[in-house]
Amino acid sequence: MNLEALLASGIDGLMLGFVYGIAAMGLTLIFGVMRVINLAHGPIIALGMFSVYLLTNQLGLNPYLAIPITVLLGLAFGMVMYFVAVNRVINEPELTTLLATFAVSLIIIGLGTVAFTTTPRALDVNLGALRSGQITVLGTKAVAVLIAILVAAGLYALLYRTRVGKSIRAVANNRSAAEIMGINTRGILAFSFGLGTALAATAGGLIATLFAFTILSGGTFELKSFVIVVLGGLGNPTGALVGGILLGLLEGVFTIFIPVGWVPVIEYVIFVLILLVRPNGLFGART
Amino acid sequence: MSTLLEIENVQSGYGEVQILWGVTLKMEQGRLTCLVGANGAGKTTLLRTVMGLLPAKQGAVRFDGQNVTKTSPHERARAGMAMVPEGRQLFTDLSVLENLEMGATPNHARAAMKQNLEWTFELFPRLKERTNQIAGTLSGGEQQMLAIARGLMAQPRVLMFDEPSLGLSPLFTLNLFQIIRKLKERGLTMLLVEQNVQMALAISDYAYVMNHGKIEIEGEARKVRELESVRKAYLGA
Repeated sequence: MNLEALLASGIDGLMLGFVYGIAAMGLTLIFGVMRVINLAHGPIIALGMFSVYLLTNQLGLNPYLAIPITVLLGLAFGMVMYFVAVNRVINEPELTTLLATFAVSLIIIGLGTVAFTTTPRALDVNLGALRSGQITVLGTKAVAVLIAILVAAGLYALLYRTRVGKSIRAVANNRSAAEIMGINTRGILAFSFGLGTALAATAGGLIATLFAFTILSGGTFELKSFVIVVLGGLGNPTGALVGGILLGLLEGVFTIFIPVGWVPVIEYVIFVLILLVRPNGLFGART
Repeated sequence: MSTLLEIENVQSGYGEVQILWGVTLKMEQGRLTCLVGANGAGKTTLLRTVMGLLPAKQGAVRFDGQNVTKTSPHERARAGMAMVPEGRQLFTDLSVLENLEMGATPNHARAAMKQNLEWTFELFPRLKERTNQIAGTLSGGEQQMLAIARGLMAQPRVLMFDEPSLGLSPLFTLNLFQIIRKLKERGLTMLLVEQNVQMALAISDYAYVMNHGKIEIEGEARKVRELESVRKAYLGA
């Protein structure tokens, strides 16, 4: 065991953590605005992977051009999903919305399996690597981090600098007051849901540039998103980004000491510990 | 004088529980109308129905000649109806300025936001000192000021207040009534739902007294104030 290997693995995990963070931001944004837990989060991450894959392999686009298109597709998908599946139960108890999004999850997995089978796919992207001793930074990973930072900054600019973003925060804060201010709250909810799924799809698209995947691959990242969201505090996008980076780093460090198969165990131990000790997350989102 | 807002034989309630049993009320352009009555008389239910937060089971709400009974609250807000709801209902996680910006959501208000912000701050100088403060951290009185200021930012044609003096100190209450008087001088059409019956009747032009989901008495405020039944029931005389 040497320090350099630890550093190498830690850096690797940290970089991946940015992508986890983007996925988790999507989950927490939706929860924060409308108290809906999107159980189709994982399958939408997988759709993001396939979106980049198909745009690249079928239409011959550059994968990094496919990603912004995937952002828009993710937005559109989420808005349609909101109106078809979520809007009709938006004022129902949480179990009902949970079932509605779970149904969408099963539909995506079912249709996706028919359309794409579960044979692993992989993108052919190679941006080279930076090496220094045992430390290797893949170009694709560095670009993924960069895109994740841009996406997170974009989300912040949207939420805090634009009228529609402020309206999203107003609706999250007090929906009926927002409605009597003249804000079309249903439209804002649909847009927020779309933003959440756009973040999930973007994370998926970035993951597709790093690993092989199938239509089922979203599940792992959905579970990580849940851990991160709890880590960062439910409904807190900053917490989700920081939580994602933290989880990535921990994963990187732990896999030096223990087999990769144990990672989920560690993650769930963290999950349970946070729920027991800091139920509002490490960064204590207001409740 | 023309009628700006007309509530005609409205019945409404929550689920199976009917609260309003046929309420008819008219608001004339540029006048201050007050609606008083005991707790549980249905005043808040009526305002919620007028704003569209509750559906009317029967009857109609007409604003500026248009039947708005079936429209959503945000459409009514965009048409020029605004409400300062009971319990303030601020965006407590947003800053003072952001709350005011959200108030200015209707298109006409968005275009005139700068001027409206200016005179709103003139009316509430304390809010100007606190533009970047998070609304939830303001004192109760300041929060009520912000709720009213936010309503004004909509540049409404009619502004409805639901129990604005609730929970305010006597000094703030006095301040509140002075502000309502100033708005009246500017010609704003207002509906005031108040538990402080004495003060409400003193500054209003026209008054409605509600009881058990119906309008019991209506008339010029100064005449209503003199009625024996009103004095006994609400003014402690």
